[in-house]
Amino acid sequence: MSKNPIFTSQFKTYKMRKLIFISALLIIVSCQQQSEMDPNINPFFQEWNTPHEVPPFLDIKDEHYMPAYEKGMEENLSEIDVIVNNPEEPTFSNTIEELERTGKLLSKVGRVFSNLASSNTNPQLQELQRELSPMLSAHYDKISLNEGLFNRVESLWQDRENLGLTSEQLKLLEDTRKQFVRSGALMSEEQKKQISEINSKISGLSTSFGQNLLAETNGFELILNKSDLEGLSDGVVAAALDAASQKMDKAESEEEKEKYKNKYVFTPHRSSMYPFLTESTRRDLREKLYKSYVMRGDNGNETDNKEIAAKIAKLRAERAKIMGYKTHAHFVLEENMLKTPEEVYDLLVKLWEPAVKRAKVEVADMQAVANAEGQNFEIAAWDWWHYSEKVRKEKYDLDESAIKPYLSLDNVLQGVFNTTNKLWGLNFTELFDIDLYHPDARVWQVTDKDGSHLGIFIGDYFTRSNKRGGAWMSSFKGQSNLDGRERPIVVNVCNFPAPVGDNPALLSFDNVVTLFHEFGHAMHGTLTNVTYGSMAGTSGPRDFIELPSQLLEHWASEPEVLKSFATHYETGESIPDALIDKLLNASKFNQGFINTEYLAASLLDMDWHTISAEEDLKDANKFESESMRKVGLIDEIAPRYRSTYFAHIFSGGYSSGYYSYVHAAVLDSDAFEAFKEAGDVFDPNLSSKLRSTIYSKGSTEEAMDLFVQFRGRKAEIGPLLKVRGLDGAE
Amino acid sequence: MNLFRAVLFSFLFITSFNLYSHNPEDFVIAEIERGQMNFENEQIAAEYGAALKRQRARRLAAMPFYKKFYIFVKAGFQHIIPEGIDHILFVLGLFFSCITFRSLLWQVTAFTVAHSITLVLAAQGLVQLRGDIVEAIIALSIVWVAVENCLFKEPSKWRYMIVFAFGLLHGLGFAALLTQYGLPKDNFISMLLAFNLGVEFGQLAVLVIAFVLIKMIMKKNWYSNEIKIPASLIIAGIGLFWFIERVF
Repeated sequence: MSKNPIFTSQFKTYKMRKLIFISALLIIVSCQQQSEMDPNINPFFQEWNTPHEVPPFLDIKDEHYMPAYEKGMEENLSEIDVIVNNPEEPTFSNTIEELERTGKLLSKVGRVFSNLASSNTNPQLQELQRELSPMLSAHYDKISLNEGLFNRVESLWQDRENLGLTSEQLKLLEDTRKQFVRSGALMSEEQKKQISEINSKISGLSTSFGQNLLAETNGFELILNKSDLEGLSDGVVAAALDAASQKMDKAESEEEKEKYKNKYVFTPHRSSMYPFLTESTRRDLREKLYKSYVMRGDNGNETDNKEIAAKIAKLRAERAKIMGYKTHAHFVLEENMLKTPEEVYDLLVKLWEPAVKRAKVEVADMQAVANAEGQNFEIAAWDWWHYSEKVRKEKYDLDESAIKPYLSLDNVLQGVFNTTNKLWGLNFTELFDIDLYHPDARVWQVTDKDGSHLGIFIGDYFTRSNKRGGAWMSSFKGQSNLDGRERPIVVNVCNFPAPVGDNPALLSFDNVVTLFHEFGHAMHGTLTNVTYGSMAGTSGPRDFIELPSQLLEHWASEPEVLKSFATHYETGESIPDALIDKLLNASKFNQGFINTEYLAASLLDMDWHTISAEEDLKDANKFESESMRKVGLIDEIAPRYRSTYFAHIFSGGYSSGYYSYVHAAVLDSDAFEAFKEAGDVFDPNLSSKLRSTIYSKGSTEEAMDLFVQFRGRKAEIGPLLKVRGLDGAE
Repeated sequence: MNLFRAVLFSFLFITSFNLYSHNPEDFVIAEIERGQMNFENEQIAAEYGAALKRQRARRLAAMPFYKKFYIFVKAGFQHIIPEGIDHILFVLGLFFSCITFRSLLWQVTAFTVAHSITLVLAAQGLVQLRGDIVEAIIALSIVWVAVENCLFKEPSKWRYMIVFAFGLLHGLGFAALLTQYGLPKDNFISMLLAFNLGVEFGQLAVLVIAFVLIKMIMKKNWYSNEIKIPASLIIAGIGLFWFIERVF
């Protein structure tokens, strides 16, 4: 209003005073409002005085990452130099503990960046990711190949008995040394050269394997006419029509366009193949599509993977031999919970019999359905999805939409919070005055039963277009007691459908299991209480890491717990018993098939990686069929991955590790069985033992020892067979 | 004069405090601003907007009643000062039409009752009108009252009816904003009242400030020609500009 020129001079002095008054007010208030971060300095170079040291997300801009990474790496290397050039004799404290203290800036920026690059990304972050990946691997190579550093560690290790170390310190020393040794620190120059040659050969072959697989998967298409669509539902038909029109758009010639005009396309991609195999009543077409899938990389053309797979396996065996291991599997498993191939085989074979037995029952069930239809054929591999769906509808039918109203996100969160409250006395208080990287991300303070601060939990549950698919746990801050008590900040990210309008978010039961699973990881990251940050939380071996997460899933499907949180979002009624029964029964559907195909692939993985360097590998197919014949795989099922498209082990990081999923499952089922035996899923003694062993020790002790401390013995497979309906009880 | 100054200062104080403070509980309001961040991708922006609304709802649900009430009073107030410049002009239009306090009181009351009615009805989803139409007619209503000020010395008899009718429309305008804020389900009615209360405070603030500034000269014989009519013409001009802008 003061802008209005109409006010005459008699108000001038008055106006002046007013202006002064307002300006003074503005200055006072705007000073108060200033953020504690200096906007002119990169936030990664400042102390974070935010509540609980949650990263100041609103102050962090895309352009802050690279300078922070560069300075972080530089600082990290100079810190290492200080340790190496220390004129004093190496001691645990001036070497190993100092090593723990290095790289703080790098981890400060790295944790924020890697989290946000997955959960809230943009083109700039993606570009940065591509730039950073080779920089970081070169950086870590500089440390792991630093001879001076290794010499200090090695001299400590040689003298380890006389240093008066605690068991945690001893394990840290051993783990640190092992990392150096596994990167080749003890090898001669000649051996190092050989290894690096083999590594680059393997890396080239792995890349070709992946590229071939992609070409083979994209190379086949089933082009159908309208008359070939018998049995297919509208959605599936629409997707196939869409696939054809996309092919048409990409087609370069008129002739090629004509090929897709008014046609329907299915491909060996699972998202296209499974619906077709399930719904199509055209057995000939099912066979055609299925065979295109299992023959990927096995067509004798220029994208064939048979020879590549055999070569990779052979090179790995040679590398293991140079490094002093009997086989590649021995090299890998040394780091795992099951330490030798014998232990892994023992587990897989024990599970194999019941799985195949159950699969045979499933075949018989399906055959009965086919016979009743008047069909005159024996169930084959390409019939499995079609007929198992008929069995499912008959015996295991479950209406997801009837369950969802009982599973609102808020109820499920309350359920998982209550579960950890009953187990360990934890309390969760949602904090509303902390800004995160996205308004759908929520934050809670976790306090222990004595009220002390335990950690910060961030939950980011809804799917969005700038978030990577899947569900995961990660952390923004680690736990350590080295220099004062530092508590962690952990995060769960999921991809549940966002609610529509003002309605609450309703989850499927699968979503609920995922939420409990990730929350189990989060508890592993929150309850951890170790001295050295590098051994905290989820730092253990792969087959152990899935134990705290999969274990918590059991509470989600425990009727007593489920009933306590699954209340209808409108009426407030508890989920009916009949619905719980159906839900739990449905989880036993098709388990013979699922376990058999999985175990077959695990065994194949182990067979490929227990060959000796001298093995004469001519034909990958022969190797595979021999391997499957040995254990007795039935014709109706193929391994989950055949050798020529087993990307997990030939172009990913899972070689002799594919078994780990089921090992973790054996562990979690058996651990939960302890509670069942006690007759109380919240038995106080077991709960506190569970916390003091499995959830809080990080990798300060051997994973197997932790399990045995909790269970009093090694794991047995009985409980898992029961959970999966493989125990023969019908 | 001292009394007026005190009143003026206290209003200015409230307004400036409301505008520039940043208490934690003010996040609810502050987020509206942040919601206008620029995104290259429309879908990401839409997802972000929906997420902001959910976050507001969660934060509100977790607040004690008095804080929530305070926030909605403040939101209502801010919708007049400083965000509701068109409502300010309308109220000033009413102000300039009157030389007696009584007539002003009646007009403002008619306006208040009317916009309260439609605010409640629209917030409950019982009445709906397209936002662009409402905005355009609001602009037109400003032109109307201002032009009338120039034509008549005293407000016409049927002016109360017209003010009432325009009030109904302004209520729809308030409601559109309120749905953006998102009313908490648990305290729907009380928060609606709080918002309306805030709007009344804002309106009252405008009138008091105008009254304090103009009172001295109101009775002067040049008031009408040199203040009332030029001011009304400016108001009418702005209203007309908005109307054209909003229609085309």
